[in-house]
Amino acid sequence: MDFSLSEEQRDVQQLAAKILAREVTVDRLKAIEAGADRFDEALWLQLAEAGLLGVAIDEAWGGMGFDFETLCLLIEEVGKTVAAVPVVPVLASAALTLQQFATAQQCERWLPGLVRGELLLTASLTEPGRDNPCSPATRLESAGGGWKLHGHKHMVVCADRASAVLLSACIEDELVLLAINPTAPHVKIVPQHVTTGEPQFSLVFDGASITDDDIIARGANAQCAVQSMLQHTLVANSVMTLGVTDTMLKMTAAYTAQREQFGRPIATFQAVSHRAADAYIDVQNLRLACQQAASLPRARADAAEAVLIAKIWASDVAHRVSQSSQHLHGGIGVDRDYPLFRFCLWAKQLELTLGGGNSYLTALGDAIAAAFKQRAAIVAPA
Amino acid sequence: MNITLTPEQLALRDDIRDYMARLMTPALLAELQGEQREGGGPEHRKALKQMGADGWVVRSWPREYGGQDAGPIEQYIFCDEVIRAGFPYPFLTTDGVGPVLAEVASEEIRHSVVDPILRGECIIAIGYSEPAAGTDLASLTTRAERSGDKWLINGQKIWTSYGNVADYVWLAARTDPHAAKKHHGISMFLVPTSSPGFSFTPINTLGVRTNATYYENIELEDKWQVGPLNQGWRMITEQLNRERLSLVNHGPCELLYERVATWAAQTDAGGSAGSSPVKVIDLPWVRTNLARVKSGLEILRLVCFKQAWSMSHSSLDMAQASAAKIYGSEFFVEAWRLLLEIVGQAGALRHDSEGAVLQGVLEHRYRSGSVLTFGGGTNEVQRDIVAAAGLLMPRYR
Repeated sequence: MDFSLSEEQRDVQQLAAKILAREVTVDRLKAIEAGADRFDEALWLQLAEAGLLGVAIDEAWGGMGFDFETLCLLIEEVGKTVAAVPVVPVLASAALTLQQFATAQQCERWLPGLVRGELLLTASLTEPGRDNPCSPATRLESAGGGWKLHGHKHMVVCADRASAVLLSACIEDELVLLAINPTAPHVKIVPQHVTTGEPQFSLVFDGASITDDDIIARGANAQCAVQSMLQHTLVANSVMTLGVTDTMLKMTAAYTAQREQFGRPIATFQAVSHRAADAYIDVQNLRLACQQAASLPRARADAAEAVLIAKIWASDVAHRVSQSSQHLHGGIGVDRDYPLFRFCLWAKQLELTLGGGNSYLTALGDAIAAAFKQRAAIVAPA
Repeated sequence: MNITLTPEQLALRDDIRDYMARLMTPALLAELQGEQREGGGPEHRKALKQMGADGWVVRSWPREYGGQDAGPIEQYIFCDEVIRAGFPYPFLTTDGVGPVLAEVASEEIRHSVVDPILRGECIIAIGYSEPAAGTDLASLTTRAERSGDKWLINGQKIWTSYGNVADYVWLAARTDPHAAKKHHGISMFLVPTSSPGFSFTPINTLGVRTNATYYENIELEDKWQVGPLNQGWRMITEQLNRERLSLVNHGPCELLYERVATWAAQTDAGGSAGSSPVKVIDLPWVRTNLARVKSGLEILRLVCFKQAWSMSHSSLDMAQASAAKIYGSEFFVEAWRLLLEIVGQAGALRHDSEGAVLQGVLEHRYRSGSVLTFGGGTNEVQRDIVAAAGLLMPRYR
């Protein structure tokens, strides 16, 4: 048992922290948010130049070849600054899934360019009313030698800039994972306005042509690929939440230590310090949940459960720490000239991404029930 | 990062589990169901001595005392399994006071007290709290005064668990009433419970039996004063820090969670779904309750192992220890509630009742469980520590 980071991991963490701390100033965020979309292209290229976009991409495709756990360190640092860079959908959801399930030819087509910052990939996991990518309503219909795509995906990050969007669909009952070109004919791309201002789009497919080249995985293989994409995305978002709440907590401790009322820092009131202490415990606990979910080998029986637990904690902690931070800041916490509000918006968006904590609590409960019913059946066969 | 137990650690866990299963004989279990639930009865003493003879007590001790220098993670696994088994193991004696005595006590005390501790033949009760000195422990008034070449002890302690069966009380007494700060002027004594002038009365709490202990003109030789004179406060706080870590082991809760889930999977809830009867575990809210317990429990397990791991790298910080104590103690209260809800109305049946579910263990657990949120350092003080040490927030003076 070892809770420490490897030397390489510490290097990645420090490199990411250094670049982000230097670049992501409040003024920079304000300038980007005043622009057309919330995407910091210059920072994205700097991360590419530092090699960080390829942190978990194989050396064969120009990456560093580290694992998902190491990628999570970069994501946490981005969360701490709420930098306008889409590390979760691009690096965790799309790139990792491609690398693991696509053909060498498909990887060659996209991954080296992604590492260099020359092209973007993204992933679409949800549809209106369906937060789970394993049962999409989007479908492929056979047409000539290929297929036509029909359906509606939404809240796809940076779909406007992406060379390809990973998404799940069905051929009758068979699940498929596709990488589609969002600018192809019969794809309607419409900007959406999400609470953080992150560039998100809905995609409506009205008979877009799909060939074998666009298919990443089919059938059982697609089930594995979509599950893997979902799990990596859930953990990556939980880790992002960890970064976001960690910063809110630090801001709250610092602010209440210097804000004076009744002639003393408000941090010296126990009602204040104890609420901050609870937020501290929440963030520490989320850290452990994330570390376990990010580091457990996927093949282990308890890995899927660890992912659910990380998401459950991330959703609760996002909500609680955000509300406590805003409350303990008082009026300044809601003032858009003070940086806290961005973190609060991100906390809520992350909490809701792929569905809230209670839906995962239900999933965990179902998994527990299945396991104990199976055990009971073994002990006392009917 | 690899947050999993090694094959050796898993094997150790299984060894201890097997060992404890054999140790918990029907006679011992029967004794622990009765008046001597907290330990100290003849069967308990016998089993403890057996553990000493089999080398379990000394295991975590340094090699110079015949121990194996077992690491904090291994020691956590040991504690967890022993508590899971339901054996009232005197951790405060073996891992709290014992090592302190071994370090600072005289050769004579080491021989007459430390050796028996390691053989599982000695139980020491803790004499810190007083009726007027609880959270503000440093205001204690039990006094030790010089009388010729002896110490004369007078005062009263409260919540002296094991005080009725212990061989000694590890007593904090004021030796310098004129010290500038009340934290100074406190010294530590080992009081043999056979001393004339020692007595106790039971305090029957909601959950367990504990004691008030009385010290009336007890004469002690100098050798029973342990550690530097007037500098007992540091020994107390160090011992409390160590104690805090063992208060919130995850094992007992995990065991109960599994027992309740198993019960829910086997028990009909009435009605049927298709051809199979609906079990309690099929009810959506039951599943949610189990999921809430599981997700909280899993974090408690990680919190505990992180602490043990930190201790083995000597990087345990105060905020971390206090955070663990707050989280664990408050989680237990919530967990007992969620699990009791699953059992439903029958959850209120006591262990000796007809129809008690899971031997009424939850009914007992909820009664005794509330102690931890204030025992071992009340959670308000722990939150003060978290805010000050973990968040560097200023404190009110």
